[in-house]
Amino acid sequence: MNVLETRDLSHDFDGLQVLSHVELGVRRGERHAIIGPNGAGKTTLFNIVTGTYTPRGGRVLFRGQDVTGAGPHALVRLGMGRSFQITSTFSRLSTFENIRMGILGRRGIRFNLLRRVAAMPDVTREAEEVLRRINLTAERDLPASLLSYGKHRALEISLAMTTDPELVLLDEPTAGMSRDETKTAVELIRRLTEGRTVVIIEHDMDVVFSLADRITVLHHGEILATGAPEEIKANRAVKDAYLGD
Amino acid sequence: MDPTTAMYVAQGLHGLAYGMLLFLVASGLTMVFGMMGILNIAHASFFMLAAYFSYQVLAFTGSFWLALLLAPVAAALVGVLCERFLLRRTHAFGHLGELILTVGISLVILEGVKVFWGTESLPIHVPPLLEGRLALGGLDYPIYRLFVIGLALVVLGVLAAVLYTTRLGMVVRAAVSDAGMVNALGINVPLLFMFVFGMGTWLAGVAGVAIAPILTVFPGLADQMGMDAFVVVVTGGLGSLWGAFLVSLILGELNSYGVQFVSQLAPVLMFLFMAIVLAIKPMGLFGERE
Amino acid sequence: MTRRAVRWLAGVAALAVLLAYPSLFGIYFTNSFVTFGIFALYAVSFNLLLGFTGLLSFGHAMFFGAGGYGTALALTHLKGLPLLPALALGVAAALALGVLLAPLMVRISGTAFAMLHLAFGQLMYVLALKLRTITGGEDGIGGFPIPPFSVPGVLSVDMKTPANFYYFAVAVLGFSVFALWFVTKTPFGCVMVGVRDNPNRVAYLGFRVPHTKAVVYLLAAGSAGVAGSVFAMFQNLVSADGALHVFVSFAPVQLTMIGGVGSFFGPILGSAIFGVISELTSRYTERVELVSGAILILVIMYAPLGVIGMWHAARARARARFAPRGAAEPAR
Repeated sequence: MNVLETRDLSHDFDGLQVLSHVELGVRRGERHAIIGPNGAGKTTLFNIVTGTYTPRGGRVLFRGQDVTGAGPHALVRLGMGRSFQITSTFSRLSTFENIRMGILGRRGIRFNLLRRVAAMPDVTREAEEVLRRINLTAERDLPASLLSYGKHRALEISLAMTTDPELVLLDEPTAGMSRDETKTAVELIRRLTEGRTVVIIEHDMDVVFSLADRITVLHHGEILATGAPEEIKANRAVKDAYLGD
Repeated sequence: MDPTTAMYVAQGLHGLAYGMLLFLVASGLTMVFGMMGILNIAHASFFMLAAYFSYQVLAFTGSFWLALLLAPVAAALVGVLCERFLLRRTHAFGHLGELILTVGISLVILEGVKVFWGTESLPIHVPPLLEGRLALGGLDYPIYRLFVIGLALVVLGVLAAVLYTTRLGMVVRAAVSDAGMVNALGINVPLLFMFVFGMGTWLAGVAGVAIAPILTVFPGLADQMGMDAFVVVVTGGLGSLWGAFLVSLILGELNSYGVQFVSQLAPVLMFLFMAIVLAIKPMGLFGERE
Repeated sequence: MTRRAVRWLAGVAALAVLLAYPSLFGIYFTNSFVTFGIFALYAVSFNLLLGFTGLLSFGHAMFFGAGGYGTALALTHLKGLPLLPALALGVAAALALGVLLAPLMVRISGTAFAMLHLAFGQLMYVLALKLRTITGGEDGIGGFPIPPFSVPGVLSVDMKTPANFYYFAVAVLGFSVFALWFVTKTPFGCVMVGVRDNPNRVAYLGFRVPHTKAVVYLLAAGSAGVAGSVFAMFQNLVSADGALHVFVSFAPVQLTMIGGVGSFFGPILGSAIFGVISELTSRYTERVELVSGAILILVIMYAPLGVIGMWHAARARARARFAPRGAAEPAR
């Protein structure tokens, strides 16, 4: 059964066609990579699926519900999470406060003006538990902006996971990382996404082939192929368009 | 012309004169916004400063023409100094810091003129050539206001010629409509900013000198004009010179006829107009940006 | 002594000074303190928007004025209206204005937010001047009765005595500041700061950014209304120039920037500093704004986080000298 589906999805910016007739199906529990050259429409697809944009045409279905045009907050509450290509954390807040924001979101504590957050031991404990899991306990009180690049990216990825989403969309999680950092990040992603469905945009083919169960190739806003890594590697059209270098 | 028609024509000319001056002020404001992304709260203060400078030049030399020539340049010089030594060095919290800085500048200028020139209104006398009224087929109209309309037309003609026929004008227009683009053109951007800021304050200064004989010079001079220019820029579309031009003329007439028919609520008409335009076109008439 | 005990003692000492203040310093400084308190709350409410939510308003006087006019009109027209309901009606007026504007204002930010507030603030100013029959035009509304603070059958305290009004004002203003401070410590306070730093991410954690902004907006409007209402009763006058002028909107900008935009207590410190400065400069010149405008420029250029920011930076430097590997503390 598909957790996420797009039906005949099309989008343009001032007449410039970015996506045309995209039919994406993401199965429950799989790790699904979306690859394609720059400008193929990958991030636009993410932005539509996660509610940043409303598509010009077509529909988005999440867990069987039509969610076309729903805002990010609504999708997150339905069980979606995302990370960004350009690190998007609360840079002036501490690592702990970053994670705590996500925990508050997950618990639906949105308009509590009557209790001090410091007097909520459950929230604190849960946030510290997350920090332990991603090895950022030592950086607990450091502002996010002062974290090393690799650690900042780890915070970014785990922030997407704090709301305990069923489906996570990761936009180039290893972009700009060194080889070692990439290895650590892949391990972290594997660990944190245990039991979740993952859609990942990625340029690093080693990461793609080591993580993904299935791959969709996007080219000029259209889906070129979808299939298991071996099928994609063997696909003639994909080779010509993208992998054939 | 019968008296009623004459009155309507006179009101129309009043509105035109004010609208033109309004555009002189608003054009600088919208250009600076287009380039720097901030609405300069202190813009109208330079307009007022020029009026005070003209009073001073008149007091020293007795020549209105010299005042008209020198005062706007002096105001522009102060503007350029503010840009070079204050605005350009403000990096705290992006545009919000710059906005707050312009508040500080406007306070200092406002209180500064009170220190130098006091709080009462100072009269400006125009040369004999511009005094008196022109009788024209039943219409009896002050010559000075006709001169103001003519002056504004000349200044705008020069502005248009510079903007649309010279290379510098092309660069300025590019910078105003898309500040990111000039970086790609390989131009000394800080110098260009300073130039446009100076030009904007000079235009406001010309308007300040021109309006002084009509309204006299007093510390509240900047209030009304500042607010009107702000409404013009927002309603016309931020960064749009054509929008500013059109809305300036509309507001000028709206003010003029508004005072005639609903004098109590004339100032509210302007906001009503802005609210209606923004409700239909949130970016303003010709605006593309927020 | 434990830290807790020290805090407790400091609190008791502060309370004792506040209680004894009128008898220690006399009427003039008692009234100065009330003015300080009013502007401190007003600036704190402004900084809830700027410092905590990242929204710069150039029209905050709207709410200050709405509070003042609300209370003044209520006391003028409702015979025998008690003190606290008069205050409440002022706050209600400010809140009503907030409810009216919020749907538009929560969808914008940055320059647009600042400028639209400037425009609406100016509109309110013009309306107050022109709707003479209601607002009294340039003269404003003055000479309305100031009811005593009374608990029927128990006590009745005359509010025309400066010292009594001082206690009433300090209680109301102090409670309001405390309430706002408390809000910044709640989960909602966390979300507010999140909206300031990264509204997009806040939305992707399941929060509705416009709703969050709307609540902050109403908190700021209501507490500015409290300040305005107390101000009107304190002066027994509310006027367009005194409560709605664009300078009244710029005042909290100055107070906040001088004290420190990044800290809850910055605006309070700023109000105190400004109070001292205007007290000193007004002996030499009437042009207090000239000095405060110049200070505003200097602060923006050289100390954008205000006095509290300078203090934090100095402390971080001192700490770095003694413990070279210690991480710099963020100024917050």
